[in-house]
Amino acid sequence: MRKCKFEDLIDDYLLNRLAGENKEKFEEHYFNCHYCFEKTMERDELISVIKSKGDIIFKDEYVAEEAKGETWLEKITSFLTPKQWAMVTVSACLFFIILLGVIPNLKTSSPQFFINEDLVRGGSITLISPVFETQTVPSQFEWKKLGEDLEYKIYIYDNGDVLWKKTTKENFIVLPEEIKKLLTSGEKYSWQVKAFSPEGFLVSVSSRVQFKINRPE
Amino acid sequence: MEKEAINLEEIYQKYRSVISFRVKKSIGASTPEWEDVVNEIITNVVEKIRKGEFREESSIGTFIYTITSRRIIDYIRQKSKVLKHVPEPTPYPHPHEYIENKEKAEIMAKAIKKLTPKYREVLYLYYYKDLSREEVAQKLGIPPRRVSERVNYSQKLLKKLIKI
Repeated sequence: MRKCKFEDLIDDYLLNRLAGENKEKFEEHYFNCHYCFEKTMERDELISVIKSKGDIIFKDEYVAEEAKGETWLEKITSFLTPKQWAMVTVSACLFFIILLGVIPNLKTSSPQFFINEDLVRGGSITLISPVFETQTVPSQFEWKKLGEDLEYKIYIYDNGDVLWKKTTKENFIVLPEEIKKLLTSGEKYSWQVKAFSPEGFLVSVSSRVQFKINRPE
Repeated sequence: MEKEAINLEEIYQKYRSVISFRVKKSIGASTPEWEDVVNEIITNVVEKIRKGEFREESSIGTFIYTITSRRIIDYIRQKSKVLKHVPEPTPYPHPHEYIENKEKAEIMAKAIKKLTPKYREVLYLYYYKDLSREEVAQKLGIPPRRVSERVNYSQKLLKKLIKI
């Protein structure tokens, strides 16, 4: 049983774990407490022997064991106290609960990417005719073929508004008579072709080419 | 006058070992001058008491502790100044003290070897390996309080073994 409240400080003092005011207080105390001083002397003797002869004293059981070194498991387990390990385990469980339970519910739908047709500037579809000026209302629109299995969509514009559009797999299209009638002499029109893959993806867009139908002389 | 002499003798008997311990702890037991420092402190204490400088404002222990601490500080300061000019003397223990201590240490070492593994283990981890009380407790799977108890009990057992 402890006889003096300073008794617990003996080891800390002798092992240099006391500093500053605490050290001074303890030193002053053992000048006044014969019991603590005797205990301190005895403990100092024990520690001195262990420090100086420990390698011989503990040779059989512990130094050999020490030479083997701690196993990786011991190193890991001794890294934290049991309480700390418990905290880590609880935290890890909470983390996984949040990760697996809550986050999927918060997840929004997968991001959707759209290709704005007007922004695609492939430019690899070369328009052949009509271009610039024509003497008569064109009956056929022709462009250079890009590849097999592509579908072309032709747009004819009147002042920026789509006048007519049509889809074909050929590299030309014959203008229907009723559309020809809409094209008047002396006016300017433009046209454009877009190419689509069999899956319906836009693969190329021609530049929009203007043409003028000259008035008959 | 006689009363004063008895008191001083008592003080000398009682405090010489305490002062010696404190001095050795502070300047090192291997420092050759430690005994001179202790003698100076004791002389100083006696002189001050005779001059009536101890007015019982504090305990006699605290009074002696204060004188001891001041002298140790002076010694260390003085030593630091000297060391700037001359090399530090090689520390050596007193031959008699060395032999006496060596014999005591041998007896103690043998006694520790006789302890059961339960107590040897705690001494090994706590003092030899210099682990904290909490670390020892963790390694042995016991509460920290139990570490102190085992160390204290080891000391009791050692006392018995040494007496035998």
